[in-house]
Amino acid sequence: MAKISMKVNGKTVSGDVEPRTLLVQFIREHLGLTGTHVGCDTSQCGACNVHYNGEAIKSCTILAVQADGSEVVTIEGLAKPDGTLHPMQAAFREYHGLQCGYCTPGMVMVAVDIARRLPGADEETVREELYGNICRCTGYQGIVEAVMAGSEAMQTGVLPLKEHH
Amino acid sequence: MGQYGIGQPIRRKEDARLLTGNGRYTDDVNLDGQAYVYFLRSPYAHAKINEIGLADALAASGVIAIYTSADLIADGVKPIPCEANAKSLKGVPLFKPPRHALAFERVRYAGEPVAMIIAETYNEARDASELIQIDYEELPAVADTSRLADADAPVVWDDLDSNVGLHWETQESAVSEAIFKTAYKTVELDLLNNRLVGNPMEPRCAVSHHDAQTGRTTLYAPSQGGRRVINAIAKDILNVPPQSLRMVSLDTGGGFGIRSKTYPELVLMVWAARKQPRALKWRADRGETFVSDAHGRDQSTKASAAFDKDGKILAVRNETIVNVGAYLSENGAILAMMGGGKIMGTAYDVPVLYFSVKSCFSNTVPTDTYRGAGRPEVNFIMERLIELGAEAFGISSIEMRKRNFIREFPYKTQMGCLIDSGDFPGTLDMTLEKGDYAGFEARKAESKARGKLRGIGIGYYVEGAGGRPFEEMRVRFEKDGKVKIFAGTFSHGQGHDTVYSQLLNEYLGVDASKVELIQGDSDTSPKGAVGTFGSRSSMMGGVAIKRASEAIVEKGKKIAGHLMQTEPTKVTFKDGVFHGGSSSVTLEEVARAAQDPSKLPEGLEGPLDESYYYERQGESQNFPNGCHLIEAEVDPDTGTVEIVKFTAIDDCGTVLNPLIVDGQVLGGIAQGIGQALVENTVFDNETGQLLTASFMDYGMPRASDFPMIGIYFNSVPSPTNDLGVKGAGEAGACGAPPALVHAALDALKGYGIRHIDMPLTPEKVWRAIQAAKSGKAA
Amino acid sequence: MDMSGEQRIPAPQQAVWDALFDPEVLKLCIPGCDSVEKVSDTQFTAKVVVAVGPVKAKFAGEVALEELNAPNNCTINGKGSGGIAGFGKGNAKVELSTEGNETILKYTANASVGGKLAQIGARLVDSTAKKLADEFFKRFVKLMTDRAAAGA
Repeated sequence: MAKISMKVNGKTVSGDVEPRTLLVQFIREHLGLTGTHVGCDTSQCGACNVHYNGEAIKSCTILAVQADGSEVVTIEGLAKPDGTLHPMQAAFREYHGLQCGYCTPGMVMVAVDIARRLPGADEETVREELYGNICRCTGYQGIVEAVMAGSEAMQTGVLPLKEHH
Repeated sequence: MGQYGIGQPIRRKEDARLLTGNGRYTDDVNLDGQAYVYFLRSPYAHAKINEIGLADALAASGVIAIYTSADLIADGVKPIPCEANAKSLKGVPLFKPPRHALAFERVRYAGEPVAMIIAETYNEARDASELIQIDYEELPAVADTSRLADADAPVVWDDLDSNVGLHWETQESAVSEAIFKTAYKTVELDLLNNRLVGNPMEPRCAVSHHDAQTGRTTLYAPSQGGRRVINAIAKDILNVPPQSLRMVSLDTGGGFGIRSKTYPELVLMVWAARKQPRALKWRADRGETFVSDAHGRDQSTKASAAFDKDGKILAVRNETIVNVGAYLSENGAILAMMGGGKIMGTAYDVPVLYFSVKSCFSNTVPTDTYRGAGRPEVNFIMERLIELGAEAFGISSIEMRKRNFIREFPYKTQMGCLIDSGDFPGTLDMTLEKGDYAGFEARKAESKARGKLRGIGIGYYVEGAGGRPFEEMRVRFEKDGKVKIFAGTFSHGQGHDTVYSQLLNEYLGVDASKVELIQGDSDTSPKGAVGTFGSRSSMMGGVAIKRASEAIVEKGKKIAGHLMQTEPTKVTFKDGVFHGGSSSVTLEEVARAAQDPSKLPEGLEGPLDESYYYERQGESQNFPNGCHLIEAEVDPDTGTVEIVKFTAIDDCGTVLNPLIVDGQVLGGIAQGIGQALVENTVFDNETGQLLTASFMDYGMPRASDFPMIGIYFNSVPSPTNDLGVKGAGEAGACGAPPALVHAALDALKGYGIRHIDMPLTPEKVWRAIQAAKSGKAA
Repeated sequence: MDMSGEQRIPAPQQAVWDALFDPEVLKLCIPGCDSVEKVSDTQFTAKVVVAVGPVKAKFAGEVALEELNAPNNCTINGKGSGGIAGFGKGNAKVELSTEGNETILKYTANASVGGKLAQIGARLVDSTAKKLADEFFKRFVKLMTDRAAAGA
């Protein structure tokens, strides 16, 4: 067993883990933060995305011990404590960027990362950037619209609303 | 009414919870002292089990128990039943082989569960499974769908002399043949509807425990409404009283038809929980999910159409081999005719139809209903025949469609479905206009300048929505002012909480924030609960809610009359308020009064709590339909097909919430495009091994596979249900595949390529181009 | 999966033949080999760790020699169970001949896999098998060369 400690959603946490424990297992099983999901076993689906030292990573790709001393933000750490949604979360709701909700936490974490790295990214870029995240429900259209609108909201503070035909 | 009623694009109530990590899926359930389950699965597609040696495994660290089929049989556990029934013309019934939850004597597909290991930890259970020694004697395997009915194919079930479990056909074989002989023109095509893996993003998972004091067992597992599953386990498999079992489905990460089944693992989790003092947890990884969910499609078809001199269809012949896999999953053997055949002819008037289905066994994972379940298959077949017909007559396929469209409703299909309504020519014209069909040539020239071949393709579809013809919903006003809906349906991404709230707002004026949806628990769901599949929730659950609301109003009028001292027959109800003479009382007040016996008229009991068991007239369904128009660019050097423009016009009847209906259509389209472009389930035809059981090997559609899709409606409300709705869930999966294939073939027109089977992977398209080129050179 | 190859070994044909069926030599040369045991003149058991793409498994296998025609040719049949990873099986025809003071070893082999190995590793089986064969012969040739040098 190895003793590890890290900051998760602003709080310092620690635990004893087997060396083979993945970061996602530590987050879900040791910390009980079950918003981060596991959808595959080959690092393809992206449901387990979290922010690791400020960057989006698939938390199934690193060991918990590697994350010792790091700063991690999970889906539970995005909204304000009073429940106000992060602009990207609000955008997913506004643009119907989710159905069953299983891929959603990973999608949102990646979306925030895209918005930070590539503010104002166009549709094609957003679609390419989402390559590592699989959604089976939405056909991605609502997600792509949400990422673009949420990105704008993160810059301007105003979420453009979805128009209906 | 107003801003929260029917027709508004209300943002979903479900979302805030799911977006903040507060969804609760089965894997998030952990019970005190739970032990872990691992299923050892067959590595062989077909083998005799000579011996299973458990001694080493039982002695391994942490192992609590190991079960095999011998334990099931000793306990009197029955095989999983298949309710589907069908007979050949000669009266030979569907062959139903026994499907034991753990392989009995033989394994018949790679991935079939052979042993159940229970241990202290997941790793210990898995490690112990490695110590189980099974003496397999490998047998010849068969996987290739088009070969299954061949005389020399290895036979999966010895009880049969071939793999044909059922040959179902209509009586029109001779009649149609005669028409083909004298027809002006005929076209014929062999095609495949490729096998698909549903892949909800949530892997398979279950948690179970038995309470020795109450004698009840609870199963937590994702489903599409667990009532039917748990009833089958109780009555047909374990032979225990249904009330001794409870099934709870929490948030469910996608269903798509395949998650509605009574799977072996669910049977085992319930059965084993009753033998163990510990709670049990099983969580499959993706690879295991690939072999433990039922698969979809997998049909090989020979289809032909006969036309008169005006290009009017005289008859269609359709002979399909369905690969049902090694065992019968619920509807695998009948979906081709009961789902697909019933609407064969789709949007077109087909006066004579011969429809033949051979449901054949193979050494593969069982197949069953997956998004569309038989309808995408026949729509693809019919659309291909229309295109080939147009080619044979040298006319546009638009003209061909218009010459054959059904124009009068109701229209009875050859297999007896009554298509209720639609505006097929209008929908087609609207698609051409919204998709700027007229501007295609200019866009094609522009693509050509970039070295790309651009093609345009149409897919007109008719879907038959509804599934089983009954459903029950209950609406109850609570003391705290909340209104609970106890649903027989089960939302697993479809946003029922939102849409049902809209209905209560529309019919009762209830504020959406007060509505709470209770679903997925066999203890609280209505007795007549059925579930969500076959695009049925609005037309079944929605109608039941409407009628339960009406019953609430009727009862409310009596209470309101009593409160207002008015004759109940003179009480009216509008926008949440009862009016009688000059007085009025709100539904909220009436609901509160209904909780207080002193305020009720004599003979009336509170609270306001009404269930409605809705039984649809016979099997009558509704028929979402629409036209999908795709422009695709093919790179002639690499064979890559890219969708560059996509317009979809759907007639989903009355739209309750356009935001959600858009989402349903788009999701269906994505799975349709998946089938047409990237998704392929590959078995080794020699060994029966599944070769595509991970997201590295099986092509899942990604965001970059799609352009922005233009979604529009040409709604013709359905006259067959109170709401006028038509099920939207499976529409997209029907329209998109033919549209994509037609667009690609149009782009490849110059090469004279007549057909390419789905999925149109770059390799397949490239090979088709090379073959066409060398054919020309020769 | 089918493959074939030819190796030139700087040792006499009989020495190569003997080494090919010497458990100690095999253990040294087979990549990932934990043990090789001779059960009879024509039967061996072996434990080998093999990774095919993302699937790594310990195989317990049985090898049987058939159509033995020492020191010229034989057929080697093998099958191994990799536990939950699945199984592998295959056969190889090996033929030795002498050219000057070298031995020419020719082989043709085919192999197939089942279970998880097939489900997520099928694409990688060919390249893995080739890599393993290359590695085996690299070690085998070196060992025979070293032995020849030591003996000389």
